[in-house]
Amino acid sequence: MTTTVTAPEATGRQEPAAPRHRKRRPKLPYALLIPAIATLLIGLGYPVTWQIINSFKEYGLAQQFGQPAEFIGLQNYLDLFTDSVFWTIALRSVAFMAGTALLTMGIGIALALLMKAIPAWSRIVLQVAMLLAWAMPIVAQMTVANWLIDDRNGVVNYVLSLIPGVDYIGHNWLIEPLSFFGVAMTIITWASVPFVAFSVYAGLTQVSEEVLEAASLDGASRSQTLRMVIVPIIRPVLVILLLLQLIWDLRVFAQIQLLQDFGAAGERYDLLGTYIYGLGIGQSQFGMAAAAAMVVMALTLAISWGYVRNMIKEDQES
Amino acid sequence: MKKTMIGATAFAAAGAIALAGCSTASDSGSDSSPAASDTAAAAEDITLWLAGTDTPEALIEYLKTEYTDVNGGSLTVEQIGWGDLISSLTTALPDSENTPDVAEVGNTQAATFTTVGAFMDLTDHYEELGGDSLLPGFVEAGSIGDSVYALPYYFGSRAVFYRQDIYEAAGVEVPTTLAEYTEVNKKMLDEGVGGAYLAGRDWRSAISWIFANGGDIAEYDGSEWHATLDSPEAIAGVEQWQELFETGNVAQPTDDDTTTYSAINDDFLSGTPASSTLAPSWATWTLGDFDEETEGYVWNSETFGVYALPGVDGGAAPVFAGGSNIGVSAATQHVDGALDLMEIIFSDEYQTMLAENGMGPANLDFADTYIENSTFEGVNEIAFEAASNAKLTPAAAGWASVEEAGIMEDFFQAVAEGGDVTKLAVEANAKIDELING
Amino acid sequence: MNRTILRAGGATLAVVLAAIWAFPVYWMINTSFQTPATINKLSPTFLPLDGTLKNYREVLADNSFSAALGMSLTVTAIALVLCVLYAVLAALAIARFRFRGRKTFVLAIIVVQMLPAEAMFIAQYKMLASANLLNSVIGVTVIYLAMVVPFTTWMLRGFVAGVPVDLEEAAMIDGCTRMGAFRRVTFPLLAPGLVASGVFAFVQVWNEFALASIILTENQKATLPLWLRDFAQTSNLGVTEWGQVMAGSVLVAIPVIVFFMIVQGRMAQGLVGGAVKG
Repeated sequence: MTTTVTAPEATGRQEPAAPRHRKRRPKLPYALLIPAIATLLIGLGYPVTWQIINSFKEYGLAQQFGQPAEFIGLQNYLDLFTDSVFWTIALRSVAFMAGTALLTMGIGIALALLMKAIPAWSRIVLQVAMLLAWAMPIVAQMTVANWLIDDRNGVVNYVLSLIPGVDYIGHNWLIEPLSFFGVAMTIITWASVPFVAFSVYAGLTQVSEEVLEAASLDGASRSQTLRMVIVPIIRPVLVILLLLQLIWDLRVFAQIQLLQDFGAAGERYDLLGTYIYGLGIGQSQFGMAAAAAMVVMALTLAISWGYVRNMIKEDQES
Repeated sequence: MKKTMIGATAFAAAGAIALAGCSTASDSGSDSSPAASDTAAAAEDITLWLAGTDTPEALIEYLKTEYTDVNGGSLTVEQIGWGDLISSLTTALPDSENTPDVAEVGNTQAATFTTVGAFMDLTDHYEELGGDSLLPGFVEAGSIGDSVYALPYYFGSRAVFYRQDIYEAAGVEVPTTLAEYTEVNKKMLDEGVGGAYLAGRDWRSAISWIFANGGDIAEYDGSEWHATLDSPEAIAGVEQWQELFETGNVAQPTDDDTTTYSAINDDFLSGTPASSTLAPSWATWTLGDFDEETEGYVWNSETFGVYALPGVDGGAAPVFAGGSNIGVSAATQHVDGALDLMEIIFSDEYQTMLAENGMGPANLDFADTYIENSTFEGVNEIAFEAASNAKLTPAAAGWASVEEAGIMEDFFQAVAEGGDVTKLAVEANAKIDELING
Repeated sequence: MNRTILRAGGATLAVVLAAIWAFPVYWMINTSFQTPATINKLSPTFLPLDGTLKNYREVLADNSFSAALGMSLTVTAIALVLCVLYAVLAALAIARFRFRGRKTFVLAIIVVQMLPAEAMFIAQYKMLASANLLNSVIGVTVIYLAMVVPFTTWMLRGFVAGVPVDLEEAAMIDGCTRMGAFRRVTFPLLAPGLVASGVFAFVQVWNEFALASIILTENQKATLPLWLRDFAQTSNLGVTEWGQVMAGSVLVAIPVIVFFMIVQGRMAQGLVGGAVKG
């Protein structure tokens, strides 16, 4: 995973070798790409084409049942852009993405630093616990979470109610939208911190003792060492992790959908993923859903454009 | 749909007699009867989609055996979870290669699929399958004009389940008007013995107040549906519900219908249990005293009781009827088999079995059996009474979308939180109007 | 002295954090051994001392779990093997060669990942239906493959680039062909990377349920997430058998935990491997 960030640089370093092969085996790279390209064409070719075409069509339940779908030009897109609900949800998604990704990164990095500093036995205890959390399938995660916050028998409400003067028995966490997204953010953070912590920890183990000793000989304080020595070394790892968290948290679908299944549904509880799903599968506005999907793709691309452009550029230079 | 029928007829006319297996169409649908298909000897393997696990295993087995006896082919039954039902029907029903031949659909979703032509026209078979004995409200939900597409499968209704002991302790009688229901609950709550438990987001219960006051969710003006939550009748109903909620109710505005029904059991709420709740008739097996041995709840007629929600001027209020419809896919390639199955479903035997298993039979001729087979005394009679003047949600193409969007839940929660009913009704109307016409 | 206290404090903190992270897992297991009577008490039971296996017996009573387990294992195994194979080949191509169309391909696999899948279900259904592949392992695997190959390729590309090309050339001087050099030299060095990227493909495929719910409509063809979801939802009327639902969750989690335990060492190497080059 972490390698993805390093890819451009690594490629850059070894690239001199490449041109030599070009003349020798011009067909080999194409042959190597055949299975991957075939997979993409078979699995995505038709659906993506369908989606692009239907984003310009009036396509609802009636069309699904055989009515001809008419081209309506940019109408779906215009409807979408003038719909305050869509923008509210888009903003909410971006906020949710930023919050969750930063929280995950913050906790993950802190845990990695902690793992570096503590005795081996306690590190292993922590790693095993996090591995368990990481291994929980999403549906199981959400089912268990729903049981933990069950309004009547949930252990969370029980423990909170032990605090004198607090009565949380019967409190439903999934009705108030803020509380709903708080729960979602907590679960997603809980589940994604292990990956960040393990990756950053793996990065930290590569910071050699000599470097650290040299730093302390030079009179650097702990925080200075962290800031000026450690962070620069693991920076590429951090960048790629952050990018991945951002992409994943913007696209989050399964967790929100499952939480809606358990609790309240409706646009107040939607992020972009569930919104598109609701438009299409729920309300049978397939044309609109296709248009929304295209817009979300553009949005994701816009957010990560800096990184993508950088990567392509480095790639070309190499 | 027409295309399929014509194709099927042509196929039959071509003299393709010895057709068997899955991709056969053997006969034109219009004149099929068990006798006809027997002579045609065209055994067809068909698929039935049932919603969730509501239909008991024994009934499914019966359908399978009976179908093989009648048709010779085999019947495959898939249970599609309620949560996946709409998406699965949306994708599969138009697809003649993969469509279920017969499919159950929630009664409030029936109109949506009927309007787009997902189901085959059953008007010619209507009499055979029960005719006017079939539950009228549900038939209407599955009809367009005079043509019938989706028939009732089973119904359930809502009734007030209450605690006799609490009513006695508070010295109150079973109310006879809707206003009295509020008063009685206010009195009990004031005396600290537990009020009603009506969840703020349980709109399926709350709309009974709109219906009882003569209002409706939406009306059809001949070309389009318009939400009518702001009609004087509807507003009166919602305000009456709001008063009950604020003065005689122990549930929270944010509660939903997942917890409602057990609130009158002991030990469910901290403190005293709720004195009554409005629950579907099939909720009975979750109500009663906890039984250590079976780890389930057992109805105890000493402490528990049931009555129909009273109307504004007495009698029973028209409550919301739950249940489902069933129809033959318009894209089916096995019209005969599907019709054979429909005949089995609407046969006396199967309707009796439904009734005996506590599901309101589609055919009201079997109401007596249903009433006799109450899981405990009287509840099915009350449920039946309520169902006979029960109302459904609008039979509009877009109603399923309205439900999907959670508009009704949000509306009643806001009302329960003490909001201005007229203002909220106008807002909810606008949201419903956007979706209800599909 | 100061340092010792700090380390002890850190160790304590680590244990507390471990408890927080493991608690939901513990609570799932705990509840799965309890009877409804215990579960429905207002105060929870923290240790299933008078535990019961009844929940597991109930969950395993019909064969729906084993059918779903079989389906999930089959789909995931095929998708995983093919995905890693295809991705490593593609990664070799883009990391080791300059060729026309390379940039387009790289851009394509990045952009494809940004496309929300939620609007394509209908089209994917139509596609599989017309190929007669609904309710089949092949159908669902084809779509899952397309879902995971781009990311896996993207990830493996870095690992391939990290293996010095000189090693391959040395092998070629020793008489290996180009592909022979890949196989004998590069592949073994890629192992941790293959594991690390395989884990991601595994997790994605194992977790998917939204598309599966549409294209796997036969009850016997459900995958595990679908099975668990239906199982948790069939508790109609607001009475959830939490004991059974948690037992079901445990059963769904076990295969993943086992898988993670098996690959855990390699995975750590893979993560380190990535970091080295950072």
